[in-house]
Amino acid sequence: MTGTILVIGVLALIGVGLYGMMILHNVLKLVVALQILTKAAALALVAAGYMNGQLQLGQSLALTVIVADTMVAVVGLALAVQVRRHFGTLDTRALSTLKR
Amino acid sequence: MAGLLVLLTILAPWGGAAWVMLARSDQLRQFAAVLSSVIAACAALLLLAFTLTTPSVEFALGGVFGTFTFVPDGLGAFLAAVATTIGCLTVIFSLDYMRGEHQLGRYYALVLLFIGAMCGLVLSGSLLLLFIFWEMTALCSYALISFHNDDPKAVAGGIKALVITQIGGVGLLVGILAAYAQLGTLDISVLIANAGSLPADALTITAFGFLIAAAAKSAQVPFHTWLPGAMEAPTPVSALIHAATMVNAGVYLLARFYPAFAAVPGWTTAVLIIGLLSALFGALMALSTHDLKRALAYSTISQLGFMVYAIGAGGIFASQFHLLNHAVFKALLFLGAGAVIHTMGTRDMRRMGGLSRAMPFVRNVFVIGGLALAGVPFFNGFWSKELILEAGLETAVWSFVIMLFTAGLTALYTLRMIWLVFFGEAHAAFPAHDAPNAMRIALGVLAAGVLGIWLLSGAFGHLLETTLPYHEGVLHVESTADMIFALITAPATWLTLAVIGLGFALWVLRARLTALTNALTPIMRAAAADFGFEWLNRRIVTTAQSAAVLLRRTQTGQLNWNVVGIVTGLVMVLVVLMVGR
Repeated sequence: MTGTILVIGVLALIGVGLYGMMILHNVLKLVVALQILTKAAALALVAAGYMNGQLQLGQSLALTVIVADTMVAVVGLALAVQVRRHFGTLDTRALSTLKR
Repeated sequence: MAGLLVLLTILAPWGGAAWVMLARSDQLRQFAAVLSSVIAACAALLLLAFTLTTPSVEFALGGVFGTFTFVPDGLGAFLAAVATTIGCLTVIFSLDYMRGEHQLGRYYALVLLFIGAMCGLVLSGSLLLLFIFWEMTALCSYALISFHNDDPKAVAGGIKALVITQIGGVGLLVGILAAYAQLGTLDISVLIANAGSLPADALTITAFGFLIAAAAKSAQVPFHTWLPGAMEAPTPVSALIHAATMVNAGVYLLARFYPAFAAVPGWTTAVLIIGLLSALFGALMALSTHDLKRALAYSTISQLGFMVYAIGAGGIFASQFHLLNHAVFKALLFLGAGAVIHTMGTRDMRRMGGLSRAMPFVRNVFVIGGLALAGVPFFNGFWSKELILEAGLETAVWSFVIMLFTAGLTALYTLRMIWLVFFGEAHAAFPAHDAPNAMRIALGVLAAGVLGIWLLSGAFGHLLETTLPYHEGVLHVESTADMIFALITAPATWLTLAVIGLGFALWVLRARLTALTNALTPIMRAAAADFGFEWLNRRIVTTAQSAAVLLRRTQTGQLNWNVVGIVTGLVMVLVVLMVGR
């Protein structure tokens, strides 16, 4: 029962994260969507550990994911600052200069 | 002892390359390059006395990598000796040829890396290690062909060589993976020993994958177009690629795995025909070009065709013996051509001529190399070419007739080349000077090799026979005296000599045979256009480019659309997994 709830939670978080990544144009909001997506991964690790009876392993890996995705968030936000300085906007549609 | 020598053969050039890169002055760079290449050559020559059939160096990596081994058997040690000795001579030759060029550090470092990689390739006892060294030689050849990287032609030639040899690399990788999936090990000797017990389809994939790899590396039809483009390289590099480090790898691969693949239906016939076509087309193209280096490049394609043909006909020893002889006389011809180009400043043979008086030393050694290439008796090329033709005669008479014709063409284009460069009317206004000392050392050693190295054929055959347990029964080795006697008394030899003489006579009498020359004009025009292979290459490149332009529309530059693409891909993978279950 707990396992099913966890899996539903994981799928819901993945759905929210991916949906956000697909429709949002603001870099800050994209970083938030990316964070939701990585939290889904962390929850998935805990769920897998719980279902395999290796909860400690799942939890320690989830902690590792949290540490790593914090760094991702920091780099993403630093990029957002640079994007705002360079382009004067946070809209990702302004960032397709390589295409032009 | 053998283990130490193996490591020295591979690591001395690499250590030298690092030293060259770190050295501060050009003099120190030259010293480092010559010293390390001489050490490698001495180690490789000594290794010939310590050959083994078992690994002498092992690095246990575990997992899918297995154990990386180096096996200094007769075939590997012999090719390492060829690579390092010719490599050492080209380094010495470069002292004069490359004097005053910029970026000598990059030049010598790449040459040394190239030599070390080739030694690793031939000594490796693991398929994965073989593949790594194989790709390393491809990378070094690319970087050296494009050495003059401000010249667009040189860059294009390098990229062409890299792309075409990569096709071969993919073939090799597919073959290795097919074998690994069945055997569960990457050990070369296990593959050769157990080839018969593999499923037929897996063995066929491996055999033909290796054949594609060898054809691309050894510039055989239809992958030969990169070799003429590689002529933009500095001439010592051309000598290195043609005689020592690059094109020999393909012939080595075929010879090494012949016992494993000979029973695959159609494999030997495919090898035979590829060699036959390369020999014939190469000779015709060499006859049609006016560029001295291109003529030599086409003759390499042709001579490698002889070697591949010999393997297809089952003459493994004949092919390796010709590889040895070809390495010596082609290095001599290339370095001689380098001396000519160095003093003339052009590669067009129509603008040379009459150099005989100004460059007597270069003329003498070039003529020696040319006679060996043509297969004139008692030069080294004669013996091995006769052995190859004998092997061909025993296997398929129709192919022998075509190869005989090719031998005549070889004599014709060789004489034409020598005549245009050294004899005939002088066209050049500027003064030519004979080769300087470092060039003379390299040329002299090679000329002595052309005159005498065939005397070692018996010893060489014995070396192969005692250290290649799986090649038993396919080597057909005899002592030098027996070989001389057998060849001199064989009627085929006299037939070949007559054809070679006819080839010479055709050039001498060319003015009186206008009817024949006119009849040959369409063939020569087709040969000058590379028999359409160059056109095919361009078509493939333009098709790939237009496909890329079409696909460019899928790159919107919009982050959201990229995520949509990723999600769609993920969904497709999930669906495939669900359906597959």
